[in-house]
Amino acid sequence: METVIVGENYSVDWDAATRTAALKGILRLNGLVEYAPIARFLGDAVPAGSMTLDLRGLEFLNSSGIAMLSKLVIEVRNRKSVDLTVLGSKAISWQGKSLINLCKLMPALRMEIA
Amino acid sequence: MTAGATGTHGLTAKQARVTVAVVVALSVILSLLEMYFDWHAMRDRVQAQMTQMLDTVSGSAVEAAYQLSPDLSTRVVDGLLGYDVVDAAQLKDNFGDRLAERRRAPETETDHGGLAGWLFGDIAHYQRTLVRTVAANGTTEVGRLEVILSPQTVARGFYDRALINAALILLQSLGIVLLVVGIFYAMITRPLVRLAQVVSGVDPGHPGAGLVEMPPGHASDELGQLVGSLNALLDASQRGLDQRDLAEAGLTTLTHDLERRVADRTRELSAASAEIEALNRILKAENVRLGTELDVSRRIQQMVLPTLGELAAIKGLDVAAHMEPASEVGGDYYDILSGADGRVRIGIGDVTGHGLESGVVMLMTQSAVRTLVTCDESAAVRVHDVLNRTLFDNMRRMGNEKNLTLALLDYHPLAQDCGTGAAGHLTVSGQHESVIVVRRGGRLELFDTIDLGLPLGLVDDVTPFIAETTILLDPGDTVILYTDGITEAADSGNQLYGLERLCDVCVAHWRADSTAIKDAVVADVKRHTGDQPLYDDVTLIVLKQG
Repeated sequence: METVIVGENYSVDWDAATRTAALKGILRLNGLVEYAPIARFLGDAVPAGSMTLDLRGLEFLNSSGIAMLSKLVIEVRNRKSVDLTVLGSKAISWQGKSLINLCKLMPALRMEIA
Repeated sequence: MTAGATGTHGLTAKQARVTVAVVVALSVILSLLEMYFDWHAMRDRVQAQMTQMLDTVSGSAVEAAYQLSPDLSTRVVDGLLGYDVVDAAQLKDNFGDRLAERRRAPETETDHGGLAGWLFGDIAHYQRTLVRTVAANGTTEVGRLEVILSPQTVARGFYDRALINAALILLQSLGIVLLVVGIFYAMITRPLVRLAQVVSGVDPGHPGAGLVEMPPGHASDELGQLVGSLNALLDASQRGLDQRDLAEAGLTTLTHDLERRVADRTRELSAASAEIEALNRILKAENVRLGTELDVSRRIQQMVLPTLGELAAIKGLDVAAHMEPASEVGGDYYDILSGADGRVRIGIGDVTGHGLESGVVMLMTQSAVRTLVTCDESAAVRVHDVLNRTLFDNMRRMGNEKNLTLALLDYHPLAQDCGTGAAGHLTVSGQHESVIVVRRGGRLELFDTIDLGLPLGLVDDVTPFIAETTILLDPGDTVILYTDGITEAADSGNQLYGLERLCDVCVAHWRADSTAIKDAVVADVKRHTGDQPLYDDVTLIVLKQG
């Protein structure tokens, strides 16, 4: 597990062995422009095969962040070569409804909310 | 020693004065001694002379006394007066009768009378008993011879010699004085004066330039030592001055170097300062531009909001609304449009991001919604589809990737004879925050909108996701619509305000009218955030079924 992006209250870690990207902390960046580095990393991380997006440590994600994730899911869906799993937590309020949108955008997505 | 020290204050003059005083005193003592010895010698000589003289004349005197011859006696006495020292002489016979007497006429010597008498008075009187030899061994006294000397005459010679001796001694002494002073001057004073002149002529700025010349013949004496020490002192001073000059020169060079460096640095700094000023101007211009942009965004957002008058004109439904833009204006949208027969169309949405672009998307949304409402389009799927395509295509054209949650609510009052007992009928479509309904009595109902749509602008076709839900409103029921600016308002500890707390406030105020509920929620949110800045726009709509 290595930290690839780190910000004031957040970090993005990557575990190459399990091909898992973990978003942690509080993400309150302004617009998709500020989310671009994270989006680029997640988009480039896995061109094909399985990939897990671990959001269990992400306490807060604002609407721009949700839009960023939505676009990532649409991109992965269109690529048709990535088997995407999203890990969420019931304990975190924003995830309950927002992660459902990801399923709507990509029905093949595996959502595991514990 | 300067010119002022010469003359009567000069070393030579002082030495001469002292020498003269000493010599004169010595001369006087010597003269007195000389006179004393001369006096003694003279007395002896006079006494000897007188003895010899009396011896010489005693034969004649004896004869004259024996013969009682006045003539012979007179010759003897006259002969004695032939000596100028003899003042008087007398010859007496053995009976005491005077045979002859001669006395020199008194001289007018008043001056030395007393002194001469004191000096020689005691040896002035001589007397010889005249004795004639008779037969073989017999003698007989025949008379007496008396001679009185003149002390003045004796003293005159003494005086003359004393005067000459004193004069000679004085002259001799004065000669010695001249010699001593001359030698002293030549040997000490003159080299000292020359030394003083050289020293006073030394340039204080260049003491080493005028070293004192060694006076000839003084190399090994005290004067030579003085000159040597003085020269060493001058040399040391010169070396000190040289070192000082060297240090000064070094310091001057350093100072110049420092001044040059300061000047260079000042130039660099002023160049940097000019650069900073230029950047500042650019930054200010940029700030002004951003400020203007924010201002424009805020005005766009505010100018299309429904007015208080519009809200007040709505019949059957008590409506209150609040919008507070964040410091960086977000893209909150809401609209309340009243139509015929008490129908009210409500839209509430939240564009992602902040600033001018979000404001423009919000404005487009407002226009499109209003257009569709004006066209009396009622089918939710159709409305959302048109809105999504419009925004999706427009945002693609604009090159931005924003999207928005949007819920559309369609309210119409129900006639009393409908049989349901409800007073209003509300349909909700599109995905946004949950709709809060507080029933009369304070019962809470939440209507999730997740399954009623998808954020607009994300995908080109949202029709598969659009759905509707219906809420029947009894009199006194309250509907609360909001954006995430309220539920996600954070305090200093990053604790979010949350849906639960919002619901609690709404339930607690279920009896209040829409404006009072709105105010209570806004106040509670502000209490929560404290002095934290608003990260996002805050929008709140309260509908209360009349």
